[in-house]
Amino acid sequence: MTDGMRLRQVRKSFGPIEVIHGVDLVVGEGEFVVFVGPSGCGKSTLLRMIAGLEEVSDGDIEIGGKDVTDLDPSQRGIAMVFQSYALYPHMSVRENLGFGLSMANVPKAEIAVQVDAAAKILKIEPLLDRRPGQLSGGQRQRVAIGRAIVRKPQVFLFDEPLSNLDAELRVSMRIEIARLHRELGNTMVYVTHDQTEAMTLADKIVVLRDGVIEQVGTPREVYEHPANTFVAGFIGSPRMNLLDAAGQGAGKVLAAGAEIDVPTIAAAGSGKVTVGLRPEHLVLTASAPGTLKATVDFFEYLGGTRYLYCQLPDGQSLVAEQRDGDDLAAGETVHFTWKPKDLRLFNPQGLKLV
Amino acid sequence: MTSPALTLAVPASSRRRRARMGQWQGLLYIAPAMALVIVFFVIPVLFTFWMSFHDWPLLGQPEWIGLGNYVRLLTDTRFLSSLRFTAYYTVITTIAIFVVAFPLAIFVEKQRRGVGFYRTVFFMPVVVGLATASLLWVWLANVDSGLIGPAIRMMGFAGKKVNLLATFDSAFWTIIVMVVWKVAGFTMIILLTGLQSIPVELNEAARIDGAGSWQRFRHLTLPLMRRTIALALILSVTGSVLAFDQFYIMTSGGPQNRMISVVYYIFNQSFVSFHLGYGSALSIALLGILIVLSVVQLRLLRVGDDK
Ligand SMILES: Nc1ncnc2c1ncn2[C@@H]1O[C@H](COP(=O)(O)OP(=O)(O)OP(=O)(O)O)[C@@H](O)[C@H]1O
Ligand SMILES: [Mg+2]
Repeated sequence: MTDGMRLRQVRKSFGPIEVIHGVDLVVGEGEFVVFVGPSGCGKSTLLRMIAGLEEVSDGDIEIGGKDVTDLDPSQRGIAMVFQSYALYPHMSVRENLGFGLSMANVPKAEIAVQVDAAAKILKIEPLLDRRPGQLSGGQRQRVAIGRAIVRKPQVFLFDEPLSNLDAELRVSMRIEIARLHRELGNTMVYVTHDQTEAMTLADKIVVLRDGVIEQVGTPREVYEHPANTFVAGFIGSPRMNLLDAAGQGAGKVLAAGAEIDVPTIAAAGSGKVTVGLRPEHLVLTASAPGTLKATVDFFEYLGGTRYLYCQLPDGQSLVAEQRDGDDLAAGETVHFTWKPKDLRLFNPQGLKLV
Repeated sequence: MTSPALTLAVPASSRRRRARMGQWQGLLYIAPAMALVIVFFVIPVLFTFWMSFHDWPLLGQPEWIGLGNYVRLLTDTRFLSSLRFTAYYTVITTIAIFVVAFPLAIFVEKQRRGVGFYRTVFFMPVVVGLATASLLWVWLANVDSGLIGPAIRMMGFAGKKVNLLATFDSAFWTIIVMVVWKVAGFTMIILLTGLQSIPVELNEAARIDGAGSWQRFRHLTLPLMRRTIALALILSVTGSVLAFDQFYIMTSGGPQNRMISVVYYIFNQSFVSFHLGYGSALSIALLGILIVLSVVQLRLLRVGDDK
């Protein structure tokens, strides 16, 4: 089905501590996959296992239909771009780009051709004779990507490649990487903390927590239909409001003193549930049954958007995002409504209720 | 020097005064160190330099003889042979130290169990004084009551008694082994700091680029350790060129006086024969040789032109 990459029940232990707990993942040929998750959840470890820099404790990894679990990093058909760039400081850019080929005993003339081709793609031809120490952060990043391109890998691996760059450069390099993916068409696996990078670059987002995959899906799926409260809270900024509520029989739940219609489910029973509402889906309205009453704690004006930080009658907090409207003072009472299709419901285990 | 917060508010004239005061303060801080260097290095060197132009007996009047001592040392066969021996010793010791210290450094660099223990054990001989170590090894190498000779005999490698210090070759190699045992731990620590300053990702990137462990050592580790290697090399060469204790204590100049190092010869000239002027000239010549050697090593390792 796929020539991209496949992980099967992959596990990793450092000594007695297991940090990756049986990960299964299929990546299609040419797909751009982004790993996201909180710090320490195992994104880098997983990527390094794919690269072959970290031994796989259990399970196996296939790249291009070939089992590479026990192969040397250089024989897996991968190339990696490190957060710290990891350029060889004593070599010129040209030597950095050609190092892998010269290790493979490729003839000098051939290396020159390949290096020039990669330099052209990344527009770093004028820098070829400089040392990494004489380059800016963005230029170094290009060289690091160039070094990966020269290897002609089946899979590119990126570990937070842009996190050392300033905000502006990050945006332009992000666009550059997207362009590169379009032009080269390789499979790419990309680790990031940055939600914007994840949403804009990914064909497929993999949300990890504590060494377990919580959800795999397109950016839209992950954002609009989070599989559980963890994903719901992790993807999106400000995060989705998750309110404790109680089922009230068919199609109704009680949250923060308000009886809310939930036509999407037949019966919530009388058990506890969690209601999920994204800040941008909350609309100010007049007091009415089925709306949420809240008190404004404070108001943030950011130009294009404004955030309302509110408190519900039962003490839970709520964030709402407004596109326009007047400033609101702390202490004011407001009412929110939303479109029924925007409401998400999770069971007490945190799983999505259909 | 003075903090910017302080200088911001004050007018220009007082700022200048403050800067001048800051300079005096700076001088004050380095004064103790400067005093030590001047009293124990600069003045003795200058005085030695002055003495080297004289015929300077222990008792009696020194007599100015200009470059006489320097002319003499150029044709002094005993000096030249001590120079040859010192060069031979320096080359062998330095190679031996690096051959032992580099693998040790690589061994103790990896995070493994008991690495602190290994580092300590390898470094331990360094804290023993060279004279003490020499005495210890004189005992170890003793024909009858020592450890090495009798051990060789007991294991059946030799029929008769083994006197390691009796022939030039065995005495020379005993000293080499002693010096390596004593010094390798120090070189190891220096090389270790160099190894540790190489980011892990560089080696990982090279692994992905298909470089084997020897290629990574050759193309990454060695060039990135250039400065560290230069430091270890200069310390090792300087230490070897100045070798004295081990020959004086362990072999008293060795069989047929073939183990007279330059410093040993200077010692003999100055404090046995009391040719103080000539000894000074030899010392100055040795200083010159060391400076030249160090500069050559720095050049060869291209320390300083990194960018
Ligand atoms: N060499 C190691 N030895 C022991 N534990 C390790 C090692 N490397 C990583 N870990 C542990 O494995 C877990 C996952 O680490 P990893 O670096 O993969 O996290 P991450 O998701 O990349 O985090 P971040 O976003 O901060 O980079 C962490 O709990 C970490 O402490
Ligand atoms: Mg990481």
